[in-house]
Amino acid sequence: MGRMKFLCDIERCIDCSGCVVACKEGHHIPVGVNRRRVITINQGKPGEKSISVACMHCADAPCIAVCPVDAIYQRDDGIVLVSKETCIGCGYCFMACPFGAPQFPSGQVFGARGAMDKCTFCAGGPEETFSEKEKTLYGQNRIAEGKVPLCAAMCATKALLAGDADEVADVYRERVFKRGSGANAWGWDKAYQKK
Amino acid sequence: MKKLILPGCILFWAMATLAIAQSQGQLLTNFGPSPSTAAFHEINGLFTGDWQQYGQLFTELQSKIFSQIFLLVVTVVPLIFLLHYLVIGPMIFSHEGRQIYYFNLFARCIHWCAAISFALLVLTGLLIIFGSLVGGGVLLRSGRTVHLISAAIFSVSALFMLLIWAKDMIYAPYDFMWMLIMGGYLSKKKKPVPAGKFNAGQKSWFWLATLGGMVMAVSGYFLYSFQGSPDTLRLSAIIHNFLGAAMIAVFIVHLYMSLFAIKGAIRSMISGYKAEAELTILHSRFKF
Repeated sequence: MGRMKFLCDIERCIDCSGCVVACKEGHHIPVGVNRRRVITINQGKPGEKSISVACMHCADAPCIAVCPVDAIYQRDDGIVLVSKETCIGCGYCFMACPFGAPQFPSGQVFGARGAMDKCTFCAGGPEETFSEKEKTLYGQNRIAEGKVPLCAAMCATKALLAGDADEVADVYRERVFKRGSGANAWGWDKAYQKK
Repeated sequence: MKKLILPGCILFWAMATLAIAQSQGQLLTNFGPSPSTAAFHEINGLFTGDWQQYGQLFTELQSKIFSQIFLLVVTVVPLIFLLHYLVIGPMIFSHEGRQIYYFNLFARCIHWCAAISFALLVLTGLLIIFGSLVGGGVLLRSGRTVHLISAAIFSVSALFMLLIWAKDMIYAPYDFMWMLIMGGYLSKKKKPVPAGKFNAGQKSWFWLATLGGMVMAVSGYFLYSFQGSPDTLRLSAIIHNFLGAAMIAVFIVHLYMSLFAIKGAIRSMISGYKAEAELTILHSRFKF
């Protein structure tokens, strides 16, 4: 079985936030929860780059290691999922995650956090596939339908790649090859900095 | 013709500066593509920040160490006391004779408020730590709510305990002696033990429960409300767990002493009276 992965090509991402909107709308994600976000560096300055980030579906994921109730698990294809019925909202996964992926809806009794919500790679959750419960709790299950995740499908510049790790790596390698040696072979350096 | 002179001059000046700047490579270098490794380096900084500092520490502690520490505390400490009970045995004093009024009604009420809320805190806390055995879900979510309510009650009780007992709990020189002979609990002989109204063990437990309880309350507030940077939360979780383990260990000591080690000691917290026979041995420096 393949290994699912996201890859965001920072030479292509234009910070349109289409992926964020697609994810939020497509899964009916509660207010205050962002499964995906776009980070921009050097905004408005030379060297501006953007990257779209969600759950990285880590191998040896720290969130799985710290969860006190074992609510988080990893599928054989590498997708990390959470069982919202088991989750107690302690927030340890948020503290362990380097990427800020676990999100918590607020507004429960006594100001408690609800169950953790994060990117599912559009693969639903532990409930029965395509069931109403799965849809309400985790959103669409596009992987079971044979589709790529919403964010990657929506990406206008195809900066965000999702799918089998080998396929994604092939696409990206081809791109880098076409751009020339390194990601920066063509551009201002070539035109103006000829020694 | 005259109208064109000023704009012409400005245009010429602008073009000239541009040309000079470009020839010196100042203007356009910055617009060229920067190496993507540098960009990734910067992005990584934004992603993970200094995760290695506390994030990794927290992950390692929470995934292995914490649950092992708590397991040790709830198994080894009671086991030691079981051994103590079997080998040395409890202290038995006569509850007849002169009775001394030791705890007034207010102190007893505060003590039992703190005791019940603390017991609930320990139980629900352990439930969260060994949550994988219970399986999470509704039971543990209610457990967290109970933990929160008990924490509020205990915090208030701890403040009152500070008010009524802090004066009696200040360490005295003879407490060092008490520590050296381990409170006389290691011998079967009934020799007078140096202690005032409270012995050194009770004093240590008092300060751990009140001052430590405040630290627990503050770190617990961060953990519950998530009002703080990720590093604040990680540090809070680390402090909350370590201090929690220490408090549970000493709590078990307190339970053993009051329920088993000194027969009938718990009566003084119910009626308020201690028997003279007990006081002359265990609180020999107490003036009554």
